[in-house]
Amino acid sequence: MSGAGSTHAAERRLSQLITVLAFAMPVVFVLVPLAIFLVYSFFSVDQGTIVHAPTLGNYVRFFTDPIFLPVFWNTIVLCVSVAVICILLAYPAAYFLTTLKGRWRYALLMLLLVPLLMSYVIKIYAIRSILGLNGFLNKALVALGILDQPSTLFVFNMNAILLTLSLLLIPFAILPIFLSLERIPQTLLRASDDLGASGLQTFLRITLPLSLPGVASAASFVFVLAIGDFLTPQMVGGISGFTFGRILYSQFGTAYNWPFGAALSVALAIVVIAAILIGERFGRSRGTSV
Amino acid sequence: MGLKKAFLRLATIGLGIGLMTSAALAANLRVLAWDGYADPDWVKDFTAATGIGVDVVFIGSDDEIWAKIKGSEGQDFDVFAVNTAQLQRYIKADLVSPIDITKLPNQKEVLPRFRDLSQVSGDTKDGKVYGIPFCFDSIGLIYDTDKVKPAPTSMSVLWDPAYKGKILAYDNGEHNFSFTALTLGYKDPFNLDAEQMAAVKAKLVELKRNVLSFYTTADEAQQIYQNNDVALIWANYGQQQVKALQKIGAHVAYVNPSEGALAWLDNWVISKGVRDNAAAEKWIDFMLSKKIGGELSERTGFGNTVVESSSAGGNDKLVWLNNVEDPLKRSDLWNEVKATP
Repeated sequence: MSGAGSTHAAERRLSQLITVLAFAMPVVFVLVPLAIFLVYSFFSVDQGTIVHAPTLGNYVRFFTDPIFLPVFWNTIVLCVSVAVICILLAYPAAYFLTTLKGRWRYALLMLLLVPLLMSYVIKIYAIRSILGLNGFLNKALVALGILDQPSTLFVFNMNAILLTLSLLLIPFAILPIFLSLERIPQTLLRASDDLGASGLQTFLRITLPLSLPGVASAASFVFVLAIGDFLTPQMVGGISGFTFGRILYSQFGTAYNWPFGAALSVALAIVVIAAILIGERFGRSRGTSV
Repeated sequence: MGLKKAFLRLATIGLGIGLMTSAALAANLRVLAWDGYADPDWVKDFTAATGIGVDVVFIGSDDEIWAKIKGSEGQDFDVFAVNTAQLQRYIKADLVSPIDITKLPNQKEVLPRFRDLSQVSGDTKDGKVYGIPFCFDSIGLIYDTDKVKPAPTSMSVLWDPAYKGKILAYDNGEHNFSFTALTLGYKDPFNLDAEQMAAVKAKLVELKRNVLSFYTTADEAQQIYQNNDVALIWANYGQQQVKALQKIGAHVAYVNPSEGALAWLDNWVISKGVRDNAAAEKWIDFMLSKKIGGELSERTGFGNTVVESSSAGGNDKLVWLNNVEDPLKRSDLWNEVKATP
């Protein structure tokens, strides 16, 4: 009797411990670091050492200095474009996947996701040698007679960043769209067909609206990943592709201005959180109406 | 009986070894150096020649040297290697001892530019010598010999519109402000006043418009060179970068610009906590021998201070890197340069 009671108590303690751990993990590894960098954003730097006195100086500088807001805005536009390109390319791919039967569908999906297993830096290197003036793309276009001479259109500029980011992030767009398309009940499509709707009508009135939650989360995924990236712009952006991520990175790498870097991160975090919330909101309102 | 004897002998040998190592440890010279500055064969030769044992610890960054020396207030090492830009910081913190160069006969035989140490900025303070130059490399200009004719002599070629979009520059505000200041003819590129800073910034915006991209690693520059039409590279990695490019078959050559090339210079210094000053002096003198100088350049590709090497010709003007007036300011301005459309 008492023995059974103590094992019960021990089990309860264990489950309490697990609960505490489960809550402690996100607190320790997510909330505390976030709080620390929020606090840092109110410090300043003097002669290479951090001054621990609260100031709004970093935020004032962000909003008043003529270089930060334009770069910030351009970066947002760039990342929205990346998201749009990814969606436009990923949607047909995902739709095609759902038309496949059985094993083929998942085999092909896996193939599309294989690039995610590769190192991100290696992919950028590879893409860069494809995009160069003597790179594969230019050589192919010249050989095919499409261009007379190699073009600098995709060499070390914003276009190169746009293309590289889109290529890197497409798998992240395919997956959520595929999942939402797959979740659409076949009965709805058959009912639409029975009622005399054409294939296009069925797609526009049933498939597309029901897949929008997937599109919304794909877009917010891609946007968030793109805006946090500094390596791609650094490596393929050249002189005109200067993005917010590069400014942010320089505050930690070469400038040793952690407080200002933290303030810039806060600005970035706000945009990222907004993007996630928007994606979430679209995803849910459409999803629950089914 | 035989077993007992064997045990006894073993114990004696063990004791002997123990005594020997502890004696050796007590007298060994403790050296802190970059990889390539104290190769095993040199250490062996040094011990054979002087009878002084050596313990070498290798380091990987300037910060690591500072942490090791400052952490023990110089007590853990006798001799270490540090560059001229860093050395003043050690002198200020009283972590290094002045060196009596009359104890270094080989110092009289070094290349002319290193003979008068009062002329090597950063090596002396208040008339006392603290650093003995050992290894250096310049940050010159790599040019493609097929595309750039005649051979350039000045960094101003980087602004030449003929090479627009064919130039690789380095992504670092500090160095870029310094070399552009030299190109504009300013005396002290490491201490710019507000007016000079503005002029250099405007000049860098012009440079940016002539450049294909800014690189950060030597590998990266090499890859961009292979896939694009590149004529000129601002060679942050100096000789190593040239040699790597030549190895892949690129037709490139290297030049130190006439207005002066930035260059780093590593020195041997004696720490405050040195146990045997004479042994430390012997080590430095040994490192200044012609044999080691030649081998250093052969193995690392860097310049040595004793025999001529490809890092710099005898008449090339070199400007030893120094701490800049305000690294934060330069980094901010560099971001502004990059953000300028």
